[in-house]
Amino acid sequence: MLAEFWNLWHDLTNLPAGASERTALYEHGILLSRQFNSLEAELTKLETDLTSAVDVGVGRINEITREIADINTKIVGIEAAKVANDLMDKRTSLVSGLSEYIDVKTFQQSNGSLTIITAKGCVLVQGNDSYDLEMGGVTGDRVTWQSSGNAYVDLTDYLTKGKLGGWLAMRDEVIAKYKLDLNALAKELIWAINHQHSQGVGLHLFEPGSTLTGTYQTSTDLDGLDFGSQIQFIADGFKLWIEDRTDPANPVMNSVSVDLSGLNGSSSLSDLATAINTGLTGVTVGVSGDAITFTAGSDYAFGFSDDTSNILGAIGVNTFFQGAGAGSMGVNTVLNEKDYIAAAQIQADGSYASGDNTNALAIADLQYTSTGISQWTCDRINGNTEGTVTTTIEHYYHSMVSSIGITSASISRGRGFNEVMVNKLGEIRDTISAVSLDEEMTNLIKFQHAYTAAAKLISVSDDMLDKLLSTK
Amino acid sequence: MRVANKTVYDMVKFDLARINEELNKAARVVTTGKRITDLSDDPVRLSEALNIKSVLSNLEQLGRNINMGRSWLATSESALSQVQDLISGTKALCVQMVNGTINAEQRAIAAKTVQNTLDEIVSLANTEVNGQYVFAGWKTDTVPFGQDGTYHGDSHAFVVKIGNDTTVEVGSDGEAVFGTLFTTVSDLKDALEGNDVGGISAAMTNLDNDFNHITTKISGIGSKMLRMDMKERIFQDYTINSTERLSEIEDADMAAAIIELQSRQLVYQAALASSAMVMKLSLVDFLI
Repeated sequence: MLAEFWNLWHDLTNLPAGASERTALYEHGILLSRQFNSLEAELTKLETDLTSAVDVGVGRINEITREIADINTKIVGIEAAKVANDLMDKRTSLVSGLSEYIDVKTFQQSNGSLTIITAKGCVLVQGNDSYDLEMGGVTGDRVTWQSSGNAYVDLTDYLTKGKLGGWLAMRDEVIAKYKLDLNALAKELIWAINHQHSQGVGLHLFEPGSTLTGTYQTSTDLDGLDFGSQIQFIADGFKLWIEDRTDPANPVMNSVSVDLSGLNGSSSLSDLATAINTGLTGVTVGVSGDAITFTAGSDYAFGFSDDTSNILGAIGVNTFFQGAGAGSMGVNTVLNEKDYIAAAQIQADGSYASGDNTNALAIADLQYTSTGISQWTCDRINGNTEGTVTTTIEHYYHSMVSSIGITSASISRGRGFNEVMVNKLGEIRDTISAVSLDEEMTNLIKFQHAYTAAAKLISVSDDMLDKLLSTK
Repeated sequence: MRVANKTVYDMVKFDLARINEELNKAARVVTTGKRITDLSDDPVRLSEALNIKSVLSNLEQLGRNINMGRSWLATSESALSQVQDLISGTKALCVQMVNGTINAEQRAIAAKTVQNTLDEIVSLANTEVNGQYVFAGWKTDTVPFGQDGTYHGDSHAFVVKIGNDTTVEVGSDGEAVFGTLFTTVSDLKDALEGNDVGGISAAMTNLDNDFNHITTKISGIGSKMLRMDMKERIFQDYTINSTERLSEIEDADMAAAIIELQSRQLVYQAALASSAMVMKLSLVDFLI
């Protein structure tokens, strides 16, 4: 998908004015975005599935602990008189069922009842009482244990064994990492393309009377924009070109160099609008729905160039993609008009031409450019840590795929190992407790013989008695 | 060790499942012809394979770019050499016309021929590739030369990307390519019409200069063509190497894979046979 995307930019450099090249690029941009969207959606679905599995697991654990507490009560009652083997067997099998789900430690009390504790020393069963686990936390996806009153202990990060431990590790370490990495990749791709795209110009300027709305919103300050941290507040921010078409035969191209030095990260969008508006004729900059707008007068067309402040990419004006992560990625709806795909750049003299492929070339070059992209390490105890790798976008993606492969290979290996372990231990247990038919049959015959012998004894003694009684 | 019946059944179940999984895997390698069928099969080499695939895709694209550039250059070259032919023809005409025995009427007729030549040169200068004017700079959608030879293009040159960090100018600034040719030819026409022998011989010298000017342009194009050919050959070699490397990583060694499959099959059969034998045995069968 990515390789094809870059190739289409190459195709555009070969024929910058080509309608089919532009359409292909636009359509592929949408496909690529959808691919990211659905990957993100699938990961999120896996997360919710795992959370509901954990939820069901918690329910099952509570059932088991209640049953064990119940049996505890009975055992303590019976043990006073005799040994309650049957109940103890049943309890052992329940405990083994419980440990399929969660970390447990058990202690047998002198009165025969069993105390069960789980991670962080939280008691699940003690004597006649069982203590339930609950799903809690802000979004209801944490496993909690009620300690006293309304105080809850969050066990989520400390459950490492059983199904629950596995599900939680999968959700909070494995899937969480790939979701973060995928988003980092999408974010980098969006920014790299947008930043370069915003330097360019399409086949024509933004039309007179049109309104261009930024794709990124903030209701607070500029730092609140998805890419707000990229903005450089410098004097020569970018050039806004305005073509005065009052005399249609002789359009005049003027440029305004926008000064952003008076702003900072805490400035609002309206502060930015005011700064850009300074000294403008023919174009009005405003704020609408938390996004910036450029509105052209009826005889004025406009375009952009030389954005060294990154502001255009940050507010989402003259950009290729919209959204800021894998889930929200899409192609800027402005490009529905494919002429606005910016293959060219406005020259210092205000000219621009359909055979200029400078900007498309620069975008095609991004595939070879290494940048720092975030790479996450997710650990439930130590939290998620963000690192950076310097690589190209494509290589990042490939190493992500390979890392998924490595994780899955090590999981399969681990599973294989554990299966063998479980088997072996089961075998050892079975040598003691399981039934061997041969043995039982032999025993059966043995007891049969004993029985026959005993019966024989009776019949002999019967005979003898008979003899004795018949003696006259 | 005491072996319970349950242990026997469990072991048979576990072992058969494991062997079956391996057999299945071996079969998949044979049927797909690929060594790597799952992400987890060989993650490290998989990443290498993915990188090679994107290199290959990039090479293919650069190959397409080179072809596009080549068609621009070939078109420019053929247009320019036709222009040179026209210049030579015009010069031959001049040699004739500068002769004292030629009268004004004959020169006026020659002027018409020169006008046609000028028209032809203009139409050659307006040559297109793919609907793009090659001698218009970046204004590839604008007819670069008017009938009188005035230039409407710009001073840039259309470029194509032929390598990760290499671009080549394949279009041209028409004004720079044709230089004074249009002026020379229309001056010649004027001189012929005006029966101005001095003007004609001046035009001869100018035509020589223009011819040489265009020759340098053609040789410039020729050297770019060579560069592209060279690049293409390098890319072809690189493509072959990368494809081989990719196949080394991805493709299964069929002989080995089939032998592996057969040995797995054998193991599985043996396991089935022995399991059937062991499970069948029971003391129960020997007691009435």
